[in-house]
Amino acid sequence: MSPIIRFDRVSVTVHEKTILSDVSFALLPGEKAVLCGKSGSGKSSVLKTLLGLHPIKSGTVYFQQQPLTPASVQTVRSCTAYIGQEPMLAAESVREALLLPFQFKAHRDHRPTESRLIEVLQRLQLPVSILSRQSSRISGGEKQRIALARGLLLGKKLYLLDEVTSALDAESKQAVFDVFSDPELTVLSVTHDPEWVERCTIIFELEAGRLT
Amino acid sequence: METLDIQLPQMALLYGLCLLPWLLLWLIGLRLSRDIGISILRMTIQLMLVGIYLKMLFDLNNPWLNGLWILVMLIVADLSILRRAGLKARYFALATFAAIAASILFSTTYLVILVIQPAHFYDARYIVPLAGMILGNCLQGNVIALERFYSALRKNENEYATFLMLGATRWEAVRPYFRDAVKAAINPTIAGMATMGLVSLPGMMTGQILGGSEPWLAVKYQIAIMICIFTSTTVACIINLKLSLNIGFDAFDVLRDEVVEKP
Repeated sequence: MSPIIRFDRVSVTVHEKTILSDVSFALLPGEKAVLCGKSGSGKSSVLKTLLGLHPIKSGTVYFQQQPLTPASVQTVRSCTAYIGQEPMLAAESVREALLLPFQFKAHRDHRPTESRLIEVLQRLQLPVSILSRQSSRISGGEKQRIALARGLLLGKKLYLLDEVTSALDAESKQAVFDVFSDPELTVLSVTHDPEWVERCTIIFELEAGRLT
Repeated sequence: METLDIQLPQMALLYGLCLLPWLLLWLIGLRLSRDIGISILRMTIQLMLVGIYLKMLFDLNNPWLNGLWILVMLIVADLSILRRAGLKARYFALATFAAIAASILFSTTYLVILVIQPAHFYDARYIVPLAGMILGNCLQGNVIALERFYSALRKNENEYATFLMLGATRWEAVRPYFRDAVKAAINPTIAGMATMGLVSLPGMMTGQILGGSEPWLAVKYQIAIMICIFTSTTVACIINLKLSLNIGFDAFDVLRDEVVEKP
């Protein structure tokens, strides 16, 4: 099986500061990986580099065997769900937030049905009534699960998760673990949560932008 | 009907009027004497030079000289827009110049050739002041459009990145900020048209009436200039923002830090 993501001696410099140095690793489809390390060690930068948000100084990032280039970045972004600590819902209501990506050309023809919407919410222990709530009036934990729900609705197979369990209670956390137990989903995550680390199959340690 | 001239002693009397606001500002503790003095001096010198130049332009009425004057106005406006919008001229000067030149030349020639129809389309008496008025308003609109667009993107960096992550193209991801910027840029002109004549008498109309024109003629010219200002501001802002999308972002759709002036 060929890797879904491969970093080949990748170095990244932002504002003349090296944030990743000679980073190499690969991830196969279905694998659950976690990046560990102190704050500022470059964990989140790995995720952002894969999404084309940080300029690569040297080395190559491969996604599904294709090098990351301006021409391929749209494909990477369309196939990947990135969920941060404080995800932006970028819409007035939760329903609008969930349907937001389906306004874009890339997903316009795949608008989910109401029943699919409800099914995904229930999978993440979210009540159906949340659909009509204002995005600004929901908690951090709910925001994280709605961002996850948006990824699931888009049928994404690769999830980049940045401290995604930080605002979740035990029950919600279990629902998220259950979602990612799906062998079809690949996860590259950043966390300080030992419970999450325990459930991952691969652990990468980062120190000052280098894999140890 | 001749316009009454203002003689030198009366001009001096006019400058004397500035003593009243200066005194009031001084009394409330605002020490702006230097700024006020420089502004009045600059206004006087600049307008005197323009007066000399316009007199020369009108006397010669040479199409190339008129064109050169408009070109100079466009270059000055271009650099002024970028400076006030906080963007580096090194990157955006050509795009902004193309946008304002295209819209100003289009609306001015439309107005002069199709509407006013003077004996010579290049007649300095029409083309120079009309192009200047349209450009002055277009400048304000473009400053607002560029400043709003790039500051909104910087302020909403995470939201913009979220749109990209959800599969939006660059154009789809910037569209909300693009619309807001264009709206902010043309709103003053739309509001100005809606209240024109009610809140204040427009400058050009007042000038024409003082210059001896019939009020009806002045009204028609005012309507013509407002429609041209609205058209050219809208066209220039949209072209300018659209062209800037190829300059302000890198190949991965990330906003380039180096194109913005450091505050």
